Amino acid sequence: MAMTASRGAWGRGVAVLGVLAVLALAALLPFALQDVFHQRIAALVLLAAISASAWNLIGGYAGQVSIGHAVFFGVGAYSALLGYTLFEWPPIAGAPFGILISLVFATIIGLPTFRLRGHYFSMATIAAAELVRILVVNWPLVGGAVGLMGPAVPRSTLDLSFTSPRPYYWTFLGTLTALLLVTHWMSRSRMGFYLRAIKGQERAARSLGVPVQRYKYYALLLSAGFTSLAGSLYALMVGFVDPDSGFGILISVRMVIITALGGVGTLFGPLAGAVILVPLEEWTNATFGGAGTGITYVVYGFVIMLISRFAPGGLAELWRRLQAAGRRHAA
Amino acid sequence: MPITRRGTLALPALALAAGPAAAQGAPVKVGVLLPLTGNAASAGNSARAAIELATELVNTPHPELASMPLMATAGLPNLGGRKLEAVFADNQGNPSVGQNQALRLITQERVVGLTNGYQSSVALTASAVAERYGIPYVNGESVATNLTERGFKWFFRTTPIGPDIARVYLDFIEEQQKQGRPVGKIAIVHENTEYGTSIADTIAKEAEARGRQIGLRIAYSANSADVSPQVLQMKDAQPDVAIFISYTSDAILYMRTMRAQGYKPPILIGDDSGFSDDSFIQTVGDISQGVINRSAFDASRPGSNSNKINALYKAKTGREMDDTTARMMQGYLVMADAINRAGSTDPAKIQAALRATDLKPDQLMIGYRGVRFNEKGQNVLASALLVQLRGKEYVSVWPEDQASAPLELPFKGWS
Repeated sequence: MAMTASRGAWGRGVAVLGVLAVLALAALLPFALQDVFHQRIAALVLLAAISASAWNLIGGYAGQVSIGHAVFFGVGAYSALLGYTLFEWPPIAGAPFGILISLVFATIIGLPTFRLRGHYFSMATIAAAELVRILVVNWPLVGGAVGLMGPAVPRSTLDLSFTSPRPYYWTFLGTLTALLLVTHWMSRSRMGFYLRAIKGQERAARSLGVPVQRYKYYALLLSAGFTSLAGSLYALMVGFVDPDSGFGILISVRMVIITALGGVGTLFGPLAGAVILVPLEEWTNATFGGAGTGITYVVYGFVIMLISRFAPGGLAELWRRLQAAGRRHAA
Repeated sequence: MPITRRGTLALPALALAAGPAAAQGAPVKVGVLLPLTGNAASAGNSARAAIELATELVNTPHPELASMPLMATAGLPNLGGRKLEAVFADNQGNPSVGQNQALRLITQERVVGLTNGYQSSVALTASAVAERYGIPYVNGESVATNLTERGFKWFFRTTPIGPDIARVYLDFIEEQQKQGRPVGKIAIVHENTEYGTSIADTIAKEAEARGRQIGLRIAYSANSADVSPQVLQMKDAQPDVAIFISYTSDAILYMRTMRAQGYKPPILIGDDSGFSDDSFIQTVGDISQGVINRSAFDASRPGSNSNKINALYKAKTGREMDDTTARMMQGYLVMADAINRAGSTDPAKIQAALRATDLKPDQLMIGYRGVRFNEKGQNVLASALLVQLRGKEYVSVWPEDQASAPLELPFKGWS
């Protein structure tokens, strides 16, 4: 008994050290990558991991597959650039407003749709996102169909507009670390257990006294807030957003694909998915895109097909299977 | 990690590029951003064929096109005959992808300049990268006004934009007045989203600046099923000139409704978009005879550069070159000419050459009055011609020195 406890503490210590070591290595990565294009891809990997990890809170842990998360992403991106357009604020100053508005949207969308289950919930979220996209297209104040742009040339460092991708990389790394810490804490807390119960069998959870609607709502709030922050960071880096790049359905679908690829409802699944998918997108586009044959998407689709055929649980499942095989081999 | 594998893959390519460089000069690379997949893929691939053609024409002697720069010679003469190479990248119609690809072309492919972009949103984000890296960017097709309002030093645009289009219409109207036609009452009928509203605003502003009033302005929704109230409103007001800014289905609906109401304005101008669409011509062409439309590219005059380029393009692709493709190709050719005049691949020298650009109409493959950039990088000589529907095709009718057929007024419509 005492032995297992001490081994547990020791094991946790090793795990914490391991995570810190990985974090340190991740922070130093931009120095290893001399090429700015590769640095930018690394930054984009982290950005994709942030929005996918945020989606994972509600879509993975709580099992509520939203395909409308572009709403929160778009709100974040638009808030950052709207503050600049209307009041000449530095884009980052709009991010807190984006988060606030996203929380309001999450409430408006979540309360009625959480009564729906399975794909009905997914469909409702798609409808909500499309509705917002169409409203934005027809609303001149937020740029209508044309979209909004950030400061064309940085006015001061407050604009957080850099030529080198490195500062973006570190900003994204910090955000992702914070998000994963929150996720880790949540999955260990009462909320994490409740969400797993809801995901397993909602009716059973309810009968055992889990406040289902309330905890789904909490998970959505957390998820929406971080997705909105991801949108603001995107706007910061790209300096432009229009209805399609902010609220387009592909934005939502991408979060789902990345998480599914890496492992739904696992802490590092979305990051693993992003590490594979984003460079794959860039590599296929850089290699085949110029030919104009659309082979980019053929290769991209084929890889996703392979994964869903052989490892539908994502890379996390593959990893577990490999570990299990290793143990069998050792024994 | 795929990232590092990319790096090693790039090495042999670099070695390959360095090899011939010592011998006769490596090709000069220009990055071309196009939407080769996605919604606008067909426009992107048409442009790709046109830019391949342009590259081929620069690299091989074509004495029949000698009035245009770089055509009679092989390669870039001021750079010792080095060849021009277009490096295509797919922006997928996505502003973020456009930015990635611009960065890749600049830092990995080491292009000396960037061109195109197609969607205004992509041109906007990609040119921001070029601006920071100090790489010249020539755009020949995106019309969002703010592209040249950002104070950029490396961005140049050859296409006519809203104010140019308004100027063409008003010049035309004023000339008709000189010839004794009544033009006092102008009506603008426009669809109510970005395209229609912004063009209508620009025309109204230009008219006001010239002391003219827009007597009637009708905004409508492009997907409305019935436009008889609007047509009745026009019938009531009896404008001398009616300018329509419409997409395809609504343009068709207007022509049918006017036919049904037996109403025709004496001068009917349709602004490109819906009126240029082939399905407009096929469905209501026979009741729209004499519709005036704008275009920058008119291939109908034998012996003109446009005519010859169109023939070469048709031989290569089997299709006629359209207005947008032609504007994109012209933008690319302006970049090629600037690199040659710079006599160097140094971006700053190319930028200086672009600033000094002064191309005359006969040096172009398109109907601009020339190419000369103002301090914002906008071509001040960009213009459009007016074409008129005769049978199943548009023929150029104005300005007269570029016309292939005489203008026929009043608007005939149907017989």
